[in-house]
Amino acid sequence: MNIVEVERLTKRYGQENAAEELSFALEEGTATALIGPNGAGKTTTLSMLADLLSPTSGKVTMAKGLTIGFLPQYPQFFPWLTALEFTEMAAKLSGVETKKARLQATRTLEFVGLGTALTKKTGAFSGGMKQRLGLAQAIVHQPKLLLLDEPISALDPTGRREIMDLLKSLQQDTTILYSTHILNDAEEMTDQLLFMKDGRLIEQGSLSEVRDRHANPRIRIRFQNYAQAVEFAEGQAWGSEVKENSIFLPVQKSGPTMQQVLQVLASKKQDVLGVEFQTASLEEIFLKVVAGK
Amino acid sequence: MKHFGILMQKEWRENIRNYKIYWIPAIFILLGITEPAVNYFLPQILEASGGLPEGAVFEIPTPTPEQILMAVLQQFQTIGMAVLILAYMATIAGERKSGTATLLYVRPLSFSAYFLSKWVVAAAISLASVWLGFFSGYYYTRLFFGEVEIIKLLQMIGFYSFWVLLILTIVLAASAALPNGGLAAAAAFALYVLLQLADGLLGANWSVSPVKIPQYAATWLTGNPDLPSLWGAVGITVVIILVLFGFGSWISRKNKAKTKV
Repeated sequence: MNIVEVERLTKRYGQENAAEELSFALEEGTATALIGPNGAGKTTTLSMLADLLSPTSGKVTMAKGLTIGFLPQYPQFFPWLTALEFTEMAAKLSGVETKKARLQATRTLEFVGLGTALTKKTGAFSGGMKQRLGLAQAIVHQPKLLLLDEPISALDPTGRREIMDLLKSLQQDTTILYSTHILNDAEEMTDQLLFMKDGRLIEQGSLSEVRDRHANPRIRIRFQNYAQAVEFAEGQAWGSEVKENSIFLPVQKSGPTMQQVLQVLASKKQDVLGVEFQTASLEEIFLKVVAGK
Repeated sequence: MKHFGILMQKEWRENIRNYKIYWIPAIFILLGITEPAVNYFLPQILEASGGLPEGAVFEIPTPTPEQILMAVLQQFQTIGMAVLILAYMATIAGERKSGTATLLYVRPLSFSAYFLSKWVVAAAISLASVWLGFFSGYYYTRLFFGEVEIIKLLQMIGFYSFWVLLILTIVLAASAALPNGGLAAAAAFALYVLLQLADGLLGANWSVSPVKIPQYAATWLTGNPDLPSLWGAVGITVVIILVLFGFGSWISRKNKAKTKV
């Protein structure tokens, strides 16, 4: 079931389109990665979904009674409130019962790893702690939809790992839409990919769909040197590309298959350093798609 | 209504922890004490600052206690109101500009509760400051210059309070409407000066004017102001404040897109 449907969503500032004719849907319980270079319109899109910005045209339809949690890229806190005071207030403002709010806030802060900083003023928080507190205020009321703007970009590798694991554990009963430019993370937690550039969606689909369209599968054979690679390339009928000491054979429906390649290699008694099947990483796909449109 | 309580607690904590609850009353108390003290010690002050030329005879008439209290009100009208405007100019604009408002605005926030919670706390602190300032001034005036009936003082403070609330409401509404605290203060000051200028030029024709409230309030010390005019002015002030509540809540919601994300 789709809990959010976005139709031709557009946000215009003067002549500039920060978001142009975006259409996509979020299915309940899935994670969607919004990917794009800086200035692509990711924050604008998330802000419209969070009802901070009103669209110039188009519409967002949300499931009835949908509760939302939002984490901005650089969350700002009242420096004179403690982490617990702030999170408790956030919970209450989002409709958590007064009696339960403190307990829920405490548990959430422990969950994001701030259990020892409950009574610390947020003004004294480090960047990483602020990011965790930002996540805490976004999830404290157990929203059905989580909108996260670059949730992990500001973290160090350890913190990034921890927050990724937290997000994955939330995924069971939360629908997540998050923007990122770290494609390894997107690859790890995504059911749907949305590629944005210059305010437009330039590619969308499930990870496997996008892969199928752009994966560009090929077999790479590594030789001792360039000359050997060229010699092999000239000696067979498949289309191929030589780069340094390697030869790349694009895999199409007609072949070649790995087995055919190995048979040829065996028959030639050719010594090789390695043979492997390759597909484009998300990063390569991203660069290709962004460069292409 | 639930949001009002939650947000008021936040405002209260803010005003305690950024020390507004201490320094605003402190300024008003200081202003209140200065007037009677300076007047009482004027001869000694003149002496200490080099004195008068040899042989000069200079009669300084002793002011009446009523005059001293009116001078206190004058101080509040200039420095006091400036302090309130500067203290609360960034109340809403500042939250948007720093981005702290964002995490409030992404919730199903009641903007009237948002505006009113800020107003109630700011009003409580402002009124308490003004009252404490007048009471301290009154104490020293009695000590140095003689008795003034307390009922006269209370009447003056009571009516002057409406004026204080009007100024405060204008500042908060400006803070909700304009992009930053500086502009909000500038707009509030401009309005403050313009209103007084307009009243000075054309006020003779119109006795029922909110701008005349301070003047009427001071009249309680020496006699009775024209009651229908005074109550009319208070009525208009209350209506303006209520209208500004509506405007402030509406414009806060409208400007939520301007918060830094």
